[in-house]
Amino acid sequence: MADDEFRQQALQHLDALHNLAVYLTRNGSEAEDLVQETYVRAMRFSHRFQPGTHLRAWLFQILRNTFLTFYRLRERESALSEDGVPEGDAPMFHDAPGRDSESAGVHMDLERALSKLPEEFKTPLLLAEVEGLALEDVARIMDCPVGTVKSRIFRAKERLRAHLKDYK
Amino acid sequence: MANEGMEQHEDDGGLGRLLRERLPRHPAPPVLRAAVLEALMPGRPRQPWWALWMPPAFSAVATALIMLLYLAPSLPTAPGADPVQFVTRAVLAEHARNVFWGETRADVVLAILPRAMEESGVALSWVFTGDEEIRLINAKPTYVEGRRGIELAYQDVAGHTVTYIIVPGGSVTLPERGRVQIDRWRPVVKRENGFSLIMWRQQGLLCVMASDLVSDEDLARFKQYFVKVRSSTEPYAVY
Repeated sequence: MADDEFRQQALQHLDALHNLAVYLTRNGSEAEDLVQETYVRAMRFSHRFQPGTHLRAWLFQILRNTFLTFYRLRERESALSEDGVPEGDAPMFHDAPGRDSESAGVHMDLERALSKLPEEFKTPLLLAEVEGLALEDVARIMDCPVGTVKSRIFRAKERLRAHLKDYK
Repeated sequence: MANEGMEQHEDDGGLGRLLRERLPRHPAPPVLRAAVLEALMPGRPRQPWWALWMPPAFSAVATALIMLLYLAPSLPTAPGADPVQFVTRAVLAEHARNVFWGETRADVVLAILPRAMEESGVALSWVFTGDEEIRLINAKPTYVEGRRGIELAYQDVAGHTVTYIIVPGGSVTLPERGRVQIDRWRPVVKRENGFSLIMWRQQGLLCVMASDLVSDEDLARFKQYFVKVRSSTEPYAVY
């Protein structure tokens, strides 16, 4: 794939990458740094990308690996809650759809509940359910078998459901 | 509250749909987009600053041109090279000089008339020298718009000055507009800058009378003066 074509295609996934970065870092400026670093790495290792495979999944994989390398360490340094899950910052509302009180309440609860999930549960859930990636692609990104991905998604939903009930 | 909506999504599919539909998405801000673009394409030629102004500038110029084309027909136009208008202004300037600085030489005017005719190139077979209402007070050669001619000055009993200028008519054609029937003649009568003018052609000459008689009553009197002058003066060009 020519460099120009690669760049053009890579840029098409900017919004999706930023969205995942926001939910991973829970910090606007860190999310931007993460996305920029992701693109820098993608360009540096573009020769490793195999044309015909899923570029979107490949970029998500770079973003997650970068996050795990640089940002998770920082997260671990922050205070941990009793259940070992880091306490998230206040949810961000950049472009929340719908502004009625009920809709805003759902957004807040969802973001808050999602922030309590560990990364290994949160990422596959977001990739599969929100970004619509196939389980095989999610498995490649997570560097684990498809069965593990299914299990994590299932457990993520269980935890999410439990967190949401806490707000009743 | 919000959680009432959650209960409808207890199943896995429902929770997935809830995430897809209700979880806010965070698109990349423009700053990040620009930074990534710069990182991906460092050699990308940047738009020069003036290029940003080109489209609105062209648009503004095009709009101005269209407005000009649209409004041009309705814009006030310059008088152009209208010889009648030029003569009118020149006669009024002469009349103004007569009013403010003109000499009253009624006692010698008949004596200086031959010299004035000789120098002006306009001879008068007959000349109206006055009556109980108005009298000839001066005569001198003059130049109006490059035309050499003769200038007669009258003054009525109320002190109003009437200037009568006769110059070669050349190709000057008086317009039909403004013509008024006065006795047996149809001269052009017009008001200009607070003065009244009566213009006509006679023997190939252009004759103009100017005065400050502008009200309806005064204008009627001015027309009477015209009749007196017109019927009793016979100019002709010497060459």
